[in-house]
Amino acid sequence: MPHKKLYYLISFLVVLSMVLTACAPKAAETPAPAAADPMAALIAAAKAEGTLTTIALPHDWCNYGEAIEAFKAKYGLTVNELNPDGGSADEIEAIKANKDNKGPQAPDVIDVGYGFGPQLIAEGIVQPYKVATWDSIPADSKDPNGYWYGDYYGVMAFEVNKDAVPNVPQDWADLLKPEYKGQFALSGDPRASAQAQMSVYAAALYNGGGLDNVQPGLDFFKKINDAGNFVPVIAKQSTVAKGETPIIMRWDYSALSDKDALAGNPNIEVVYPKSGTIAGIYIQAISAYAPHPNAAKLWMEFLYSDEGQNLWLKGYCHPIRYADMQASGTLNADYATKLPTFNGPVAFPSIDQINNSKTVIADNWMTAVGADVK
Amino acid sequence: MSSKPTFFRDNKRDAHNARPSSSGWRNWIVVVPFFLFAFLFILLPSVSLLMRAFRDNDNRFTLMNFVGLLDPSILSAYWVTIRISLTTAVGGGLLGFLMAYAVTVGNLPRPIRTTLMTFSGVASNFAGVPLAFAFIATLGRTGLVTLLLKSVLGVNLYDQGFNLYGFWGLTLTYMFFQFPLMILVITPALDGLKKEWREASENLGASHGMYLRKVAIPILMPSILGSMILLFGNSFGAYATAYSLTGGFINLVTIVIGSQIKGDILYNPGLGYALAIGMVAVMTVMMAIYYFLRRRSERWLRQ
Amino acid sequence: MKRRSFWSWLWIAIGALYFILPLYSTFDFSLRAKKGVLTFLAYERIFKDPNFWSTIEFSLVIAIFTIIVSILLVVPTAYWIRLRLPKLRVMVEFISMLPFVVPAIVLVFGLIRVFSGAPFFLTNTYFGTYVLLVAGYVVLALPFVFRSVDTGLAAIDVQSLTEAAQSLGANWGTIIFKVIFPNLRVAILSSAFLTLATVIGEYTIASFLVGIKGFGPYMSLIGQNKTYESSSLAIISFLLTWAFMGMIQLFNRGKADTSALAGAR
Repeated sequence: MPHKKLYYLISFLVVLSMVLTACAPKAAETPAPAAADPMAALIAAAKAEGTLTTIALPHDWCNYGEAIEAFKAKYGLTVNELNPDGGSADEIEAIKANKDNKGPQAPDVIDVGYGFGPQLIAEGIVQPYKVATWDSIPADSKDPNGYWYGDYYGVMAFEVNKDAVPNVPQDWADLLKPEYKGQFALSGDPRASAQAQMSVYAAALYNGGGLDNVQPGLDFFKKINDAGNFVPVIAKQSTVAKGETPIIMRWDYSALSDKDALAGNPNIEVVYPKSGTIAGIYIQAISAYAPHPNAAKLWMEFLYSDEGQNLWLKGYCHPIRYADMQASGTLNADYATKLPTFNGPVAFPSIDQINNSKTVIADNWMTAVGADVK
Repeated sequence: MSSKPTFFRDNKRDAHNARPSSSGWRNWIVVVPFFLFAFLFILLPSVSLLMRAFRDNDNRFTLMNFVGLLDPSILSAYWVTIRISLTTAVGGGLLGFLMAYAVTVGNLPRPIRTTLMTFSGVASNFAGVPLAFAFIATLGRTGLVTLLLKSVLGVNLYDQGFNLYGFWGLTLTYMFFQFPLMILVITPALDGLKKEWREASENLGASHGMYLRKVAIPILMPSILGSMILLFGNSFGAYATAYSLTGGFINLVTIVIGSQIKGDILYNPGLGYALAIGMVAVMTVMMAIYYFLRRRSERWLRQ
Repeated sequence: MKRRSFWSWLWIAIGALYFILPLYSTFDFSLRAKKGVLTFLAYERIFKDPNFWSTIEFSLVIAIFTIIVSILLVVPTAYWIRLRLPKLRVMVEFISMLPFVVPAIVLVFGLIRVFSGAPFFLTNTYFGTYVLLVAGYVVLALPFVFRSVDTGLAAIDVQSLTEAAQSLGANWGTIIFKVIFPNLRVAILSSAFLTLATVIGEYTIASFLVGIKGFGPYMSLIGQNKTYESSSLAIISFLLTWAFMGMIQLFNRGKADTSALAGAR
């Protein structure tokens, strides 16, 4: 009967494809940790490779746009920019999917959240490298073997559309005020976005919780929702400008960059909650399967040079070598003054604390807040 | 049997009476490219990743990901996704059908038909962040229509209980690409309604309503069902619009998959891929229902 | 006759209102790049951006190839299924719906995994990458193209047309290209529209295969921090895609109107 033969054929094809994909040849492992090459040799090797592939680098995030252009101009390499809207997990998945690929889809370098450090090493997807300025990177912001290294950090703040909300909230408790009904939103889903998750974590720290006690953060957001102040939409620069979500929480460098981009249309004010806030570190790493390892290393040297760090500073990020450059006077004074100072408490959670809080927030967000949002 | 009017072809009988089919293998060669394409570019890539559904985060073989599908929050995710897909498939199918009907059988001027068809082409793909923002700009708290209603009619939508950021708001937004999709796909079938049939039914004394109920709709029903299943699938797999508009609060399966595979937090790709396999299963069930309904509607077309 | 016209006009009017309002709101917002005045500044900035032109050109070319491959793949298959292999119908329809349930990100990573290594090595050349891109888009457009074509085939009498052509001595090539294709003009047009729109705005597959060379990733880049430009870009891409479809529609003119075959209204 035709049906029976057909189904045998289909089953055979499915099994065949499973076998084919399971038996795909594995790529050769990448070279052992490289000692810092003399710069000239590195530049020459990078130029021979000719191109660098980056991933998930929005141009206005810490001024990456200018950094990429400066890198291209300085060394004459081309840069493939993949997936500008991606998150940390996208970058990791992209490395894994491109294991055998030497083409322009395989990311050479990644920039992911602090909490991902151990996972990068455990899954063997990054190769170690220590930049020339390695020693000036604070010890708690890097892997001692050079597999990953902190690049910059930002501080969680309120971004407020001042034209829509003349009475700008100054602290956590203000978010509960009835005058802000239907005006507050997060810039992501706390179950998927690190930035949103850190907003909840920050709320926990200054509303009855602690670095190891995140539940009060969820309770606080429940209070905001019960007060009718919370809008369950993903806030972006456009929704803030429109006045639909005039009060949002995001990293200060993004908020400040929004302020510049909107240039008074409308007026944006960036406020650090008075009681205190949280800092978020990001880390750089080179893919273990990078098709252009020398270009990748050169990119790292560039980013960790004074020039690279100052470009990040220009983007309102705190470059990781801030203290060192301040001491040696290489910090760009103009950019430094534009960076707002905040003298209140800023918490720097450890990797374990971040990862634990992630789990608690992700598991309980919907029950704490989502229940009432139909 | 012989008393049935012979307007309509009996496909099964004629397939048998048509030119005797050439020898077995030559019959299949025409469809080989399609199946080869499907094998190479749909089956292989999907299977290579969906195999990860059988692995946990430490890369050991496991069936726990599938057990995880039985979690109440995940089952409710499937349910709400099915609900929104059914709603937009039926609702979108209905108004889409009416609009397509208006420009085909309804005899509206040709330029309107051309405009509607080309516009539908574009609108059927207007989704994601731009669509979400367009509706926020229209029906959000500071939206154009909201403000207009407030100033002109004194009606405050949000006080009345309307909320763009909920199930019905999302449904309303989804319609923007569902209506046009229906229009584009059902129009060829509407074009196929022969004028003679309507004239014949009028000659027999039927009103327009009777013509619709007894002749046009039954003929079109298989195509309508086919189009609606397309709308269902389209909505079932949609992600970006819902995520932008409702911040993940309407817990669709695609959003859950996204947070497992791409998210910064949860990151359990094994579960994500198991969810995707679950989607294939749901889709299979829906298609089975569709086939059943379609066979019933086609039944009177054959002996 | 008059009564029918009233209902027809009503449905179209309701539909038009529903479609125009959100677009108008976006348009209105896009005019506010300067505080307090209405200006086309956001549009100027987009048109002056060389990346806008290069990405839309790139995506357009990819879209055209996708349309051609889709139609050549689907029409003969759908036709043959109806004519000779009705038992395969279930299978083909199921396959055509699979792209809905395979998330784009799974598809693109799967394509990369399978085709970047042995024996294909497609990603080692730009040409190979573009082949992969077109293949991915053909997959994405498959449900729409198949449904369109299938609905179109349902409306024409496949058996009689084939028999008539055969009795006139036509071979299969002539039948498919000179008899079936012209009768499916409307369905093929719908498929082309749907495919074009799908490809131009698509983000996920483009972003992982070609990065910001594609129009979808370009739109996302603009949307990240250029508020008014992202609204103006949405309107521009809407209008441009509409214009492209108008051009495709022009190919339809001057040839025999399908209504003559299906019966004039």
